[in-house]
Amino acid sequence: MKKKLALPLALVFLAVAVLSGCSGEDKNTITFWTPLTGEDGAYMNQLVENYNATNPEFKVKHIVTADMYTKLSTVLNTGKGVPDLAIIHADRVPGYVEQGLLEEMTTILAAQPEIKEENYLPQAWATGTVDGTQYTVPLDIHSNVMYYNKDLLAKYGAESFLDDNVVTIDEMLSLKGKLETGHYVVNDALIGWVILAQIQNLGGDIQENGKPAVNTPVMKQAFEEIKKVADAGLMTPFGEDGFLQFQSGNVLFSTDGTWSSTAHASVEGLNFGVTNVYSATPEKYTNRASSHLFAMLTNKDRSDEKEAGIGNFLEFIRQNSLEWAKAGQIVASKEVIESPEYKEYMQSFFTSNEEQIKSLYIYTYEHYPYIQEAIDQNAADLVRGNVDMDETLAKMQKQVEDKIAQGSSGAQ
Amino acid sequence: MAMKRKLMPAFFVGPHLILFIVFVLIPTVYGIYASFTQWNLNSDPVWTGLDNYRTILFDSESTFYRQFWNGLKNTLLFVALSVPLLIIIPLMVAVALEHKKVKMKGTIQAIIYVPGLISISAAALIWSLIFNKQLGVSSNVFGSDAVWSTTQPYAWMIIIILTIWGGVGGNMIIYRASINGVSKDLYEAGDIDGAGPIRKFFSITLPSIRFPLIYTFVMTTAGAFNVFGQPLMLTDGGPRESTTVLMMYIRQLAFGHGDSIAGMASAMAVLLGVVILVISALQYYVMNRNAN
Amino acid sequence: MSKNMTISKYISYLFLISICAAWAIPVIFGLTTSFRSQTEVINSGFRLLPLEWIMDNYRAILDNTSTAPIVRWLGNSLYIAILHTFFVVVVISLTGYGYSRMKFRGRDTMFFVLLGISFFPPVVNLIPSYKIIDALGWVNTSWAMIVPGLAGMGNIFLVRQFMLGIPHELDESARVDGAGDFRIYFSIILPLMKPVLIVCALFSFVGSWNDFLWPVIVYTDVDKMPITAGLLLLQDIYGNYRMIGQLMGSAMLAIIPTLLLFFFAQKYFIQSINLNSGIKG
Repeated sequence: MKKKLALPLALVFLAVAVLSGCSGEDKNTITFWTPLTGEDGAYMNQLVENYNATNPEFKVKHIVTADMYTKLSTVLNTGKGVPDLAIIHADRVPGYVEQGLLEEMTTILAAQPEIKEENYLPQAWATGTVDGTQYTVPLDIHSNVMYYNKDLLAKYGAESFLDDNVVTIDEMLSLKGKLETGHYVVNDALIGWVILAQIQNLGGDIQENGKPAVNTPVMKQAFEEIKKVADAGLMTPFGEDGFLQFQSGNVLFSTDGTWSSTAHASVEGLNFGVTNVYSATPEKYTNRASSHLFAMLTNKDRSDEKEAGIGNFLEFIRQNSLEWAKAGQIVASKEVIESPEYKEYMQSFFTSNEEQIKSLYIYTYEHYPYIQEAIDQNAADLVRGNVDMDETLAKMQKQVEDKIAQGSSGAQ
Repeated sequence: MAMKRKLMPAFFVGPHLILFIVFVLIPTVYGIYASFTQWNLNSDPVWTGLDNYRTILFDSESTFYRQFWNGLKNTLLFVALSVPLLIIIPLMVAVALEHKKVKMKGTIQAIIYVPGLISISAAALIWSLIFNKQLGVSSNVFGSDAVWSTTQPYAWMIIIILTIWGGVGGNMIIYRASINGVSKDLYEAGDIDGAGPIRKFFSITLPSIRFPLIYTFVMTTAGAFNVFGQPLMLTDGGPRESTTVLMMYIRQLAFGHGDSIAGMASAMAVLLGVVILVISALQYYVMNRNAN
Repeated sequence: MSKNMTISKYISYLFLISICAAWAIPVIFGLTTSFRSQTEVINSGFRLLPLEWIMDNYRAILDNTSTAPIVRWLGNSLYIAILHTFFVVVVISLTGYGYSRMKFRGRDTMFFVLLGISFFPPVVNLIPSYKIIDALGWVNTSWAMIVPGLAGMGNIFLVRQFMLGIPHELDESARVDGAGDFRIYFSIILPLMKPVLIVCALFSFVGSWNDFLWPVIVYTDVDKMPITAGLLLLQDIYGNYRMIGQLMGSAMLAIIPTLLLFFFAQKYFIQSINLNSGIKG
C-alpha cells in the first residue's frame, strides 16, 4: 500500500535529486555579465579573449545576458551567483548606488594609478561618481548623433548646413517646399533623445533642486521647436520607419545612434556622414548620450585578489579597447581615442575637439529614467500635434512624480 | 481496501499537486503578497497594506489609476475583438477541412499552423514591413494612404491581424481533432434526414465538440487578457496610448528603466487576475449550462 | 445530394485557399527576406521573392559560433523539449484521469481552485520562482526548464474537458468486472486519451521550445541555453533591427524543429483520431 503511494512521490523527488548539478564557480575566474547582445557581444568577446591571452592570474568569463537587469534582480534576491563584474548603463547608477548595490572602486583605483579621471572622457567618468566616491569605470559613450546623406545634401544645396557643425532647425526649415515628393529633411528616430538634447540647447534642465522638472517652459519650447519641423512636412510621416527611410535614401538627416553606423554601412549606395544632432539654436549643440560602465555589484564573496584581477582587466581595457570602436561606439579611454587608428572611425568626429566632447551630454539626475520613459511615451504624439501640449506635459509631470513617490529611492 | 480507495486519488492527482504548490501556488501567493507592499525587486518589500489598491482603484488623480483603467479598457477591447475571431476562424477551417472531398488537408493545416511558431519579434517585423507605407503592400496593393501603426482604427487592425494570424493554429488543431472524432454515423443519419451542411454543423458538430469548445473559449480569453507582445512591437501602445494594454503598463512598472515599482505592478496584476477569473468563471458557467 | 456535396466542396476550397494564401504570404515573405540583403529590404518594396538570393544572413548567424553555438542550442532545445513533453504526458494523463474519473471529496472544487489560481498573470513571480529553482539547486540545469512547466493547468483542463465527453459506460462496466483504477486508467482510459495527449504533447513541446524569458533567467551558461533564448543574444540590445535579414534568418532556423514535429504529430490527429471517441459509444 504505502509502496504504491511512495512510488509517485519517489519519482518526483528522484527528479528533484538527480540533478543538483551545481556549477562550482571557479575561484580564479572573473564572471563578467553584460547586456551586450548582437554584434556588440562579439566585439566584447574579442576583447575578453585578447585579455585572457595575456595569461592573467584571473581569467575573465564573459556572459552576455538578454535581460540582464531582471536577471540581476533574481541573483541579488538569492545572494548567490552575483557576477564579479558587470556592464551597466549610466542611468542605472544613481538608483543602484542609492540601494547600496554597487561596490566602490576605491581599491582598484588605488592599485591602478592610470585608471583615473584624466584618462577618460570626463562625463563618462563623472557618471560613476556619487558624492565623491567612484563606483564605475567607463567603457564608452554611446550617443544620439545625426547621420546625413551626402548625395541628398548636395542635391538640395544643403552642404553649407554642416559648416559650423550645428545644423539648426531654421536651416532645416529653409528647405520647405524645395524637396521632391517622398523626400524628407529628417526622420523621427530616437525623437525622445532629440528632445532631451534641446533642453540642454535651450539652457534648461530636467530637474530643479532634485525635483523632476518636466512641465516647464523649456520642455514645452523644446517640443514646439521640433514640432515646427514636423508641421512643415519635413519630417518623415508619423509611424513610418524613419530609420529605413534614411537607409533607402529618402531622408537627408537621421537622428539615430552611434551604434547604427555599421548598419548604415551595410547598405550599398548609401553615401553618408555623421554630425551633431540638430539644434533649436545656433549657439549650442548637444548630443544626448549614455555610457556603458564597468561596475561591481555588492558581493561578499568577491576576494581582494579577485578585485585586483578586475583592476588588471580594466586597465587592459583602458589601453586596448580599440576593438570596441568597431561597434560604432565612442570609446571612453583617452589613450584609445587619441591613437591614430581610432581616427579612422566615423565616431572620432565627436572627440575631435573639446567643444565636441562637451556636446556629449549624459543626464545624471537620479530620476532621469522615469523622465525619459515619460518623454519617449509621449514625444511622437506631441511632435505630431496629436495631443494637447499643456495637458500632456502636465500628465507627464504627474506620472514622473507618482513614480518617484512609489519607487524605492523616493520611499525612504 | 477502503484505505486503498482513499489513497488512490493521491496517486493520480498528488504528483501534479506537489508541482503545482511549488511552482505555481507559492510564486502566486508571493506575487499577491507583493501587491500589498512597496518593492523595487532588489531589496525587501515594505508592507503598505491596501495603499496600492486604493491608489489604483480610487485615486482618480493618480497616474496609476489612469494607467490601470486605460490599460484595462484597451485590454478588454483587445479581448472583445480577438477572441471571437480566434474561435470562429479555426472552427470554420476545421469544418471545411472535414469535407470529404477536400484534399491536401495536412498541408493546409500546416500552413495555418506555422505562423504561430514564428517568434513574436520576427512576426511583428514581417507585418510592419508589409504594412510599411513605403515598402509594403498596404500602399502598393491596397493603395491605402494611412500609416497603419499610428492611425486608429488601423492600429488595432494590425494588432488583431497579427494576433489572428499567429493564434488560430492551436485552436484549429483542437477542433480538428475533436470533429474528427464525431461519429460518422451521426452525419449519415443527418444525410438520411436530408439535413444540409449548415444544419448538420449546428445540430451535430457543435454539440459533439461542446466540451473542447468550452476549453478553447476559456483559455483563449485568459490568454488574450495577458497580451502585450503584439501592441508593444507593432504600435508601441500608440497612438495616444490607445493600444497600451494593461500588461504593458504592468511590465513597464516592474521592469522599466527606473527603479522598479513592483508592488504597484503586482497589485495591477492581481486585479487583472480577478477580472480574468470572473470572466472565465462566467464563460464556463454559461457554456457548461447550455452544454448540459 | 451529390450536387449539394459539390457546391459545399467548392465553398470549402474557396475558403481554405483564400485563408491559406493570407496565412502563407507573410511567412514566405519572412522566409525570403532572410535571403535578402539589407539594401534590397529597404529599397525594393514588397516583393514575395528576392531580386537576388544571398546566403550572407545565414552565414553571419552561423559564423558567429563563439558567441552563438547554434547547433548546440538546437540540441539543448531538443533535449529539453523531449523530456518536458514526456513528463507532461505522464502528469496530465494521470491528473486528468484523477479529476474526471476518480471520486473524492471536493474534487471539482479543488480543480477549479487550482485553475483559478493559475489565471493570475505571473509578473513578479519570476523572483520567487527563481528562488525556488535556486533552492533546488537547478540554476543552470535543464531541470529548471523541464519541471516547472509540468505544474501548469491548461493541458489538464483540456484533458478533463475531453474526458467529460466520454461516456462512463466503458469504465463503469470494467469497474463492475472488478478492475481497479490502475487497470481502468491503463487499459481503457489511456488509449481513449491518446488523441488529446498528442495534441497536448505538441502544445507543450512548442511551448517549451518557444519560452524565452525564463531560460534567460535560469541559465548563465551560454552553452546550455535552448535556442530561443540563445537567439535573443544575437539580437540587438537597442531593440533596433539593424539587420533585418539576420533577424528573419534566426527566426526561421528556430521553427525548423517544431515544424518537423508538427508534420510527424499531425498524422496522428488527422487519421486515427477520435477526440470525442466516446460518442461513438
